[in-house]
Amino acid sequence: MNSIERFYATVNREPVDRPAAWLGMPDIHAQPALFAHYGVKDFHELKLAVGDDFYAVEIPYQSPNSSAIYAAFDWYMDGNVDAEERTLTTPGCFAEAEEPEDLEFFEWPDPAKYIDVEECRRRVEMAPKDKVCLGVIWSAHFQDTCASFGMENALMNMIANPEIYEAVDAKIMEFYLKANEIFYEATKGRLNAVLIGNDMGSQRGLILSPDMVRRFIIPGCKKLVEQAHSYGLKVIYHSCGSIADVIPDLIEAGVDIIHPIQALAAGMEPKGLKEKYGDQVSFCGGVDTQDLLVNGSPEDVRLKVRELRSIFPTGLIISPSHEAILPDIPPQNIEALFDEAQKPGKTSLV
Amino acid sequence: MAAAIIEEISEFLQKGRAKNVKKLVEEALAQGIDAQEILNEGLLSGMMIVGGKFKRNEVFVPEVLVAARAMNAGVAILEPHLVAAGNEPMGKAVIGTVKGDLHDIGKNLVAMMMKAAGFEVYDLGVDVEAETFVEKAEEVGADVIGMSALLTTTMPNMQSVIDALNAKGVREKYIVMIGGAPVTESFKEQIGADYYTADATSAAEVAKAAVEAKKA
Repeated sequence: MNSIERFYATVNREPVDRPAAWLGMPDIHAQPALFAHYGVKDFHELKLAVGDDFYAVEIPYQSPNSSAIYAAFDWYMDGNVDAEERTLTTPGCFAEAEEPEDLEFFEWPDPAKYIDVEECRRRVEMAPKDKVCLGVIWSAHFQDTCASFGMENALMNMIANPEIYEAVDAKIMEFYLKANEIFYEATKGRLNAVLIGNDMGSQRGLILSPDMVRRFIIPGCKKLVEQAHSYGLKVIYHSCGSIADVIPDLIEAGVDIIHPIQALAAGMEPKGLKEKYGDQVSFCGGVDTQDLLVNGSPEDVRLKVRELRSIFPTGLIISPSHEAILPDIPPQNIEALFDEAQKPGKTSLV
Repeated sequence: MAAAIIEEISEFLQKGRAKNVKKLVEEALAQGIDAQEILNEGLLSGMMIVGGKFKRNEVFVPEVLVAARAMNAGVAILEPHLVAAGNEPMGKAVIGTVKGDLHDIGKNLVAMMMKAAGFEVYDLGVDVEAETFVEKAEEVGADVIGMSALLTTTMPNMQSVIDALNAKGVREKYIVMIGGAPVTESFKEQIGADYYTADATSAAEVAKAAVEAKKA
């Protein structure tokens, strides 16, 4: 099987020669050690060197304020959308908004002005033909809406003034649906899957109630999934943390793969997920980044991969439990993850 | 009569209805009910009920936030009366996220619940230097130092705070508490902190019990 065949078999929970594996999107500070370990000079070479089944590409986005689509909105009105020093609770420009007219001053970016169609094509053409071309598009409408008010204000608005929350969310959804359409049209026939999502879990449970997730997040998820499916793309949906209580809703919304299995979050144990949902949806993740990959030995990592392979003979893309690998993860452990995932055939724990 | 209005304050607080809480607190004061009683039995106990539900995943972050907003609205009205009466907090807590960590939602929830437990909270915000924790704790005569980290890469900076306390010879003066997604009981042992708690309500409960035990 090549990577693409292996991926589709995993999505359909059909037999695979070995599990598909995804490196994730290593944090920029983690990249130098990985480059050195694999003897490569850039991220493109790294993706090929690790033996990844995926080749991830981001939507090219270049506006006067931002060079990343996930930071497209100038919520702080200071032209500094990428600021690393900002917290999630920093009040955004809608912090005081109560009525729809309080949103009118904001200049919503037009994705058509800032997404270069040729650059979309160039990026996907970088992907080897036998690798799964994964569009990392996020479309994180919940997180953006939170940022626009400041997270605490946004969460309180969900209770006290849901209309204003939904008015902002609708505008953000409009932006992402248009941006995605540009990207999908430009890359037609070359993209296999997309990664979208919103962080809605904490270590011990959902940040907001399942009912609120159903009201404020799932409808947007459904629209994004429908759009991707209409282009024949599989959808990987991301949320950090414990999201076990809304997995049925994500399945209902049409999500193909749930990412990540954040192994140490409450209710996210791989075995339980396989038993409950293994015949309805596939997963990605499972190799813990909160302890194992940071503090464990390569042999510990191999053992975990063998365990995951035995729980999920198919239906799981082996991957770190958070896509942004941090610099405290030794590259040897990443190598062990891929090496063990790539061994052909069935895995036995003994 | 007093019990009825205080019960009402608690109920509106639990629903996050700040305006109602404010109005009822004013009414209770006008009825001559002691400010400390309104605070403890109406506002703080109502907030602790919300905290208990949060701990059991019966309510979630938005419900805690609106309840805390209602609590703060009530406390603001009571404050001049409490100051005039010379009421003392049950303890003082200095909290923040450690150096390099900007993830503040968990820390903010801990601050809210610590206030509900009767603490005077000095919130140092995010990305706090080890020395700043120590200096503030010394300055205000804190009982508790609370540290939060979401990233595995910033967790080691909790150790730096404990090292700074040791270097100054003041470690034993403080109850040192830690929390955050990747933080565990065994990490607590490893760095020599006093308590790890998994959620904001437990942090407030444990802090209160530890301060009471220390003062006993």
